Amino acid sequence: MKAFKFVRPRTCEEASKAVQAESNAILKSGGIDLLDRMKEHVDDPDTVVGLVDAEGLEAIRIEDDGAINIGAKVTLQQLADSEAVQRFLPTLAEAAGLAASPQIRNRATIAGNLAQHTRCGYYRRASFPCVQRGASECPVKQDGAVQDTAGVFDDECVSAHPSSIAPVLGSLEAQIKLRINEVSMFALFDNLWIRRDGKPASHAQLPEGAVIEAIHIPARSEKQYVGFAEIRQKAAFDWALVTCAVRYALDPDGKIGDASVWFGSIAPAPHQSVPAMRALLGQECTDKTIQAAAEASMKNAKPVPGAAYKVKLAKVALKRALEHARGRS
Amino acid sequence: MSDDSPRDDKPSGLTRRALFKGAGAAAAAGAVFRSIEAGAKESDTVPANVQGPGTVPVELDVNGAKKKLEIEPRQTLLEVLRLPLDLTGAKPVCDRGTCGACTVWLDEKPVYACTVLGVEAAGRKVTTVEGLGTPEAMSSIQKTFVAEDALQCGFCTPGMVMSAAWAVKKHGKDLTEDQARAACAGNLCRCGTYPHVLKAALACARKGS
Repeated sequence: MKAFKFVRPRTCEEASKAVQAESNAILKSGGIDLLDRMKEHVDDPDTVVGLVDAEGLEAIRIEDDGAINIGAKVTLQQLADSEAVQRFLPTLAEAAGLAASPQIRNRATIAGNLAQHTRCGYYRRASFPCVQRGASECPVKQDGAVQDTAGVFDDECVSAHPSSIAPVLGSLEAQIKLRINEVSMFALFDNLWIRRDGKPASHAQLPEGAVIEAIHIPARSEKQYVGFAEIRQKAAFDWALVTCAVRYALDPDGKIGDASVWFGSIAPAPHQSVPAMRALLGQECTDKTIQAAAEASMKNAKPVPGAAYKVKLAKVALKRALEHARGRS
Repeated sequence: MSDDSPRDDKPSGLTRRALFKGAGAAAAAGAVFRSIEAGAKESDTVPANVQGPGTVPVELDVNGAKKKLEIEPRQTLLEVLRLPLDLTGAKPVCDRGTCGACTVWLDEKPVYACTVLGVEAAGRKVTTVEGLGTPEAMSSIQKTFVAEDALQCGFCTPGMVMSAAWAVKKHGKDLTEDQARAACAGNLCRCGTYPHVLKAALACARKGS
């Protein structure tokens, strides 16, 4: 790692100001991904603004209206172990508990998990060309090899977003509480993944000087059916090949009146599948509906040859997630 | 650092570790790793709002002993443990949080020392494999690893011991094989000694403590 100045703000407000005031500064929470990138010189900040001393970011709080507020520094292990998360947001506890290893879950935070960058091998070697660093073409498209870190849509960047927690937060319509200087604001989850220059975002895009303060999961009055499925090569301590998180609610007539379907690891950003959601709306959650949603979810897929296998996996993941949701009492 | 430490398992003669120590002595005496033996003022070790990029004074609590050091913010806890502190149980292998050989406890929870900055560990309780027991006075888990033949080349062992010890500590006598497996999931063993590691963890749990 290049030598850097380590700034330790006590509050989110101080962190926001520090990251703007210091030159070439970057925010650090648990730092699992950031230190990797710094060791590889993919990121070479002069200043690291560490949230290690920042207060008020470590609690999981149930608000009066039933919404759940998760502090930015809550670790994946805390999410997995929290009785409130297990009870009210079971897919979030499941995804967090499956992620990485105990050693990483004890350090990695929910905000850092959202802010992590793609695992694409070309992106993570500073000497390789990558469209995310200004190259005109993505080398993965010329590479015929099996690409676990590639997505299935033909985009300018064909990387895959590695977080298994992000699709769950998407399906729960999480809002991201940001702090810029003295002001707190909420950002819609979807808006984290839009780049100003129109290119596909391969990691969360925060406004200038913004610090993630908390993740806010709004309360819902009607019963929610939620499911999560992750497919990977190893039973433990592995990156997902595909993840899928779903949420739906039933109308009084027993048909799906509200649905949300999100995938991880198949596109540069967490991927919301509108075709799958359309296939679910107005239908009873039968095997036939589930099959139709799975087919719809991949109808726009155009993978590089090395990632073609992920199209099948994604359909299976969606089926498992929906069956999981349907079967949950 | 003293040479009579119980870490060197051979009391005399040229060990591999001693060879590295000799070769590295000149470099270690350089500016980067300056150990403040005594006399540092209390105010020197209060966490500052800004540290570095050069060396900064920190006080680490390692295996129950307070260690005053000067380190750079870019040094990982693993680097700080191995070089200035000479605690070489935690091994640098992948340096990317993917192998488990550098597993230590931070505030009683297992973490990869390569994913933690040394300056961030200041003021928190760090436990390394040396803190569990010495070759002369091994802890129960270390004895059980020997008894159950839970190592081959031994390179992953210090990290594996920290994960297994944590499983025993967390679940006690009722530790199940699945729990032991989950606790050790973040430690890779190239020799494939996993079944013996699980046996050792379970045997240690059944013995109690």
